[in-house]
Amino acid sequence: MSDIRHSLLRRDALSAAKEVLYHLDIYLSSQLQNASLSVGDKGCTDLLEEFILQVPKERNCQPKRLNSLQELQLLEIMCNYFQEQSKDSVRQVMFSTIFSPQGNKADDSRITLLGKLVSMAVAVCRVPVLECAATWLQRTPAVYCVRLARTLVEDYCSLLPGSIHMLKQIFSTSSRFCCQFITAVTALYDLSSDDLIPPNDLLETVVSWIFEDPRLILIIFLNTPITANLPIGFLELTSITGLIRWCVKAPLAYKRRKKSSLANGATGTKMGKENALGVDNDCHTLYSKLHLSVLQVLILLQVHLTEKNLFGRLGLVLFDHVVSLVEEINRLSEELNPLNVAQEMELSLDRLAQALQVAMASGALLCSRENLRTVCSRLPHNNLLQLVISGPVQQPSHAALPPGFYPHIHTPPLAYPGLPAHPVQTFIPGMTFPYRPIH
Amino acid sequence: MSAQGDCEFLVKRARELVQEDLWAAKAWLITARSLYPADFNIQYEMYTIERNAERTASAGRLLYDMFVNFPDQPVVWREISVITSALRNDSQDNKQTQFLRGLFETLPGRVQCEMLLKATEQCFNTLERAEMLLLLLKRFPETVVQHGVSLGETLLEAESIEDQESSVNCFRKLFVCDVLPLIINNPDVRLPASLLYKYLNKAAEFYINYVTRSPQTETQHQGSQDTSDLMSPSKRSSQKYIIEGLTEKSSQIVDPWDRLFKILSVVGMRCEWQMDKGTRNFVDVLHRMKDLCRYISNFENEAHAKYRNQVVYSVLLVFFKNAFQYVSGIQPSLFQGPNAPSQVPLVLLEDASNAYVDVEIERNKHIHKKRKLAETREKTMSSDDEECSGKGRNRHILINKKELPNSVELLESFKFAKESWELLHSVESLDKEFTRICMLWKTDTWLWLRIFLTDMIIYQGQYKKAVTSLHHLAVLQGSHSPQQVLGQGSLEQHRALIQLASCHYALGEYRVTCEKVLDLMCYMSPPTQDGVKAQEEPPKVKSKFRKGFDQKLLPCTNKAVMPYCFQLLLACFKLRAFTDNRDDMALGHVIVLLQHEWPRGENLFLKAVNKICQQGNFQYENFFNYVTNIDMLEEFAYLRTQEGGKIHLELLPNQGILIKNSSPPMGLLQQEFIPVLQPSIQPADRHHTVTRGITKGVKEDFRLAMERQVSRCGENLMVVLHHFCINEKILLLQTLT
Repeated sequence: MSDIRHSLLRRDALSAAKEVLYHLDIYLSSQLQNASLSVGDKGCTDLLEEFILQVPKERNCQPKRLNSLQELQLLEIMCNYFQEQSKDSVRQVMFSTIFSPQGNKADDSRITLLGKLVSMAVAVCRVPVLECAATWLQRTPAVYCVRLARTLVEDYCSLLPGSIHMLKQIFSTSSRFCCQFITAVTALYDLSSDDLIPPNDLLETVVSWIFEDPRLILIIFLNTPITANLPIGFLELTSITGLIRWCVKAPLAYKRRKKSSLANGATGTKMGKENALGVDNDCHTLYSKLHLSVLQVLILLQVHLTEKNLFGRLGLVLFDHVVSLVEEINRLSEELNPLNVAQEMELSLDRLAQALQVAMASGALLCSRENLRTVCSRLPHNNLLQLVISGPVQQPSHAALPPGFYPHIHTPPLAYPGLPAHPVQTFIPGMTFPYRPIH
Repeated sequence: MSAQGDCEFLVKRARELVQEDLWAAKAWLITARSLYPADFNIQYEMYTIERNAERTASAGRLLYDMFVNFPDQPVVWREISVITSALRNDSQDNKQTQFLRGLFETLPGRVQCEMLLKATEQCFNTLERAEMLLLLLKRFPETVVQHGVSLGETLLEAESIEDQESSVNCFRKLFVCDVLPLIINNPDVRLPASLLYKYLNKAAEFYINYVTRSPQTETQHQGSQDTSDLMSPSKRSSQKYIIEGLTEKSSQIVDPWDRLFKILSVVGMRCEWQMDKGTRNFVDVLHRMKDLCRYISNFENEAHAKYRNQVVYSVLLVFFKNAFQYVSGIQPSLFQGPNAPSQVPLVLLEDASNAYVDVEIERNKHIHKKRKLAETREKTMSSDDEECSGKGRNRHILINKKELPNSVELLESFKFAKESWELLHSVESLDKEFTRICMLWKTDTWLWLRIFLTDMIIYQGQYKKAVTSLHHLAVLQGSHSPQQVLGQGSLEQHRALIQLASCHYALGEYRVTCEKVLDLMCYMSPPTQDGVKAQEEPPKVKSKFRKGFDQKLLPCTNKAVMPYCFQLLLACFKLRAFTDNRDDMALGHVIVLLQHEWPRGENLFLKAVNKICQQGNFQYENFFNYVTNIDMLEEFAYLRTQEGGKIHLELLPNQGILIKNSSPPMGLLQQEFIPVLQPSIQPADRHHTVTRGITKGVKEDFRLAMERQVSRCGENLMVVLHHFCINEKILLLQTLT
């Protein structure tokens, strides 16, 4: 192994990187074939870190650095490699070998290189790279995922204005990646500060995706074997909680940002004010649309949970997250003068109440109304929230329906061929479905 | 808060938001529904939003929800009935209608089926109910077995309950055009033959009456005819016609004959007739039925009844179709609206061109024979039919192909109709069944059919029968009173009168012939153009083929009929004029009439001159009123000379004052004819000539009259002869007494 290293050291940086990639491919392929998946040869990963990730091995031995052009060439080579590697398993192993954080000093450059690679793959529509990245996002601690998301948002929303359309197309190139990307950006932008309000382009993009097909945000959930305990520190299975947070907090968070920008005199000119007002109006509509989509997703979710026999057993919206969301609202409410934000607070709480109600009814949120009452006790008064917390007035239950159960008729036309375990009457327009006599 | 209160609050908030933030409104409703899934108003509000935004898929889904969860809500039923009526509505242009249809299409088939059935149950109007059921049957063929026949029977029942006058009514239309094909084409529906025959009968009656409907019903139902009709002339279907209770579109039936023959073939298949596979045209059908007829008597009982039905219905359709084609060709206005482009009506008449033929040759041959024939017919009215039709086979009809390009097909249709008719009467059992059907359909009230039958009888040479038929026709025409208003001023409605004259002529009844012709003259006006002769068929050709023809098909116009009338008159007077008994009046009339188509009657004129020479004198006081032919005038001028034989001619009115007095006083003549009369018969002039004395002045007057006549040579002869007929009507009739 050290022979290889010595020969690599004599080469120029790019060809050395290429050589390592080549060896790595051969090594991992044979490993897969022998089915003797050892912990991985230390030598191989060392070469990877030294020649591809450019982390100096020894203090006194500085390898040849890649210049910008060479780095671009390397990225292109990698892109093409993943594109052309026909074996799915090899591709996956390669990707995770190169980009899985190892908890060492190379992780930083690992994530940086990954950011550049995925950004390029987005621009040139490299589906295999995006698919691998989607899996990576599932298996990698959220802190790294958020970094990748930030890189992409910076590249496509700030660095190069007008390039957002490239990002938009991942909806059709890789819906899995798209779904994970949404989860990552909702984890990143939690509206806890003005900086963590999603950029308008990003918001508009996310809303357009979800509005076009609400099922998008369930794709990872539907295609992942569900384990009882969700690992902590990773991205959530869906972006539902994150999106609820966006919609609920947006009215107050935007108000806060407006207030602070006025205080800073950033938008002192009349022009700037009007612009900001227009943008805020657009955002209001976008959040309204997004909120509706989230509710629709929750209704879809009910069908899927029922089908997967998970209804009442898997809370996709964690109660703890609800608790923290309510706390955040309380904090925002304290920050802002409640008298000035009555309208915004009303909207926030209406959305919160709606999300809670529909999430409970659809089995996404597993908690009692009693729990909610406690959590929400410090919130300002809101009629709808009150109604949701106290629950519907009991009435003679509808003959055909169990209380609280709404038999929605959407059915997932996704790659999820589960037989309905629950008598849910479903149909897709234009398709026949078994006829059930009505009495 | 009560549940009711909650729901009202939620719906109210949603409603407030619809305008400013539709997404929020929907979010409210989703929440509301999740809180109160059993509340109808929440779901209805959701549906209303989607419906107003015309989003078919989501509206459809919500409607389905409501249909499943709230089957008893009247609002749902109102909505469903709006949708089903949109389905029945055939106007494509309405956006709302299209949306509702699209909405319905998004529903699962079984739900559609269920909805239609339930909607039908809630419908109490027979017609609407039927239309609703039809939607069901068309969409879901499997329901035909259960509902098809009962729907059909309901429609037929409704027809009699609602006392429909015509068989072309909305119930029958739905039955024949929509329900019947579904029933008979569905292999799972088993029907007894008797029912199939009943349905076939109903279908045939409907389609025949539909095709042969008179145009005035069209004008009844619509205010004004569109000018766009003129864009597509010869198409009847372009005319707006509405069957009461139906929309304009569903009142239009494309290719009715094809549809009827289709039904015939399906029924035939189901009744196991002797059929060939593959499409046959009606000519083939007719030939095949002729074959079948030959051995039909070999079958017994059921088989006989089966094949009898096959022959009767097959031939009956061929008969009515061809008879209709013939009548629509000869009298298009019967079936066309007033704005339809006018096709020239035609009239079948006995050929009278032999009027110009020398009387001697003819007297012995033609007329007597005909008279004899007529006499024998009178005696044995029923038994001679066979003989006559046998004779009719050799008859020929003269047509002018150039002038009437459609006449060949017209005669084809006539021929097929006639053959079909004969076939239907050739076997007793067929005759009986056919007669029964005709009685059922009340075909004796069908004017158009009477027209065909009359023409057929004329063609067969059964003139006595034809006269009766024509009287029958006149009665029918009288009952078609709007028709009369419609065709006023056109000669077409006097077709029967022309034919009557023609028949009486053929029977040798000259006085009646003359009477009819003179009646007819009152309805005609002479064609204004001078080019009358130029446009007529060259006489040469006529005479060349003349002997071969017994009848001719003339355009029913003044231009064509008036010359025919003159021929008839000539033929009537010719006989009397050339008898051994002297009849100057008849001879005079003949001379006047011979001017027409001069010199065609030159021989006859010379014969008349001969007769005058033999008599040595001639008295005809109308001479100078109506004779303007220069050749004739010359001849008469010559007759008075030494060389001409010094014939004594009394051609001036005063010479025959006594005769004149017996003619009608001037006052009786219509005012409009007065200017035409020559000065010689005006009172003052008459006085003058009377006091003049006879000997000296006459010569001078004759010369002056001659000179004046020569100057009249250029006058329109048709006008002169027309006036002759009108003014001298009584005199003419007296002559033939």
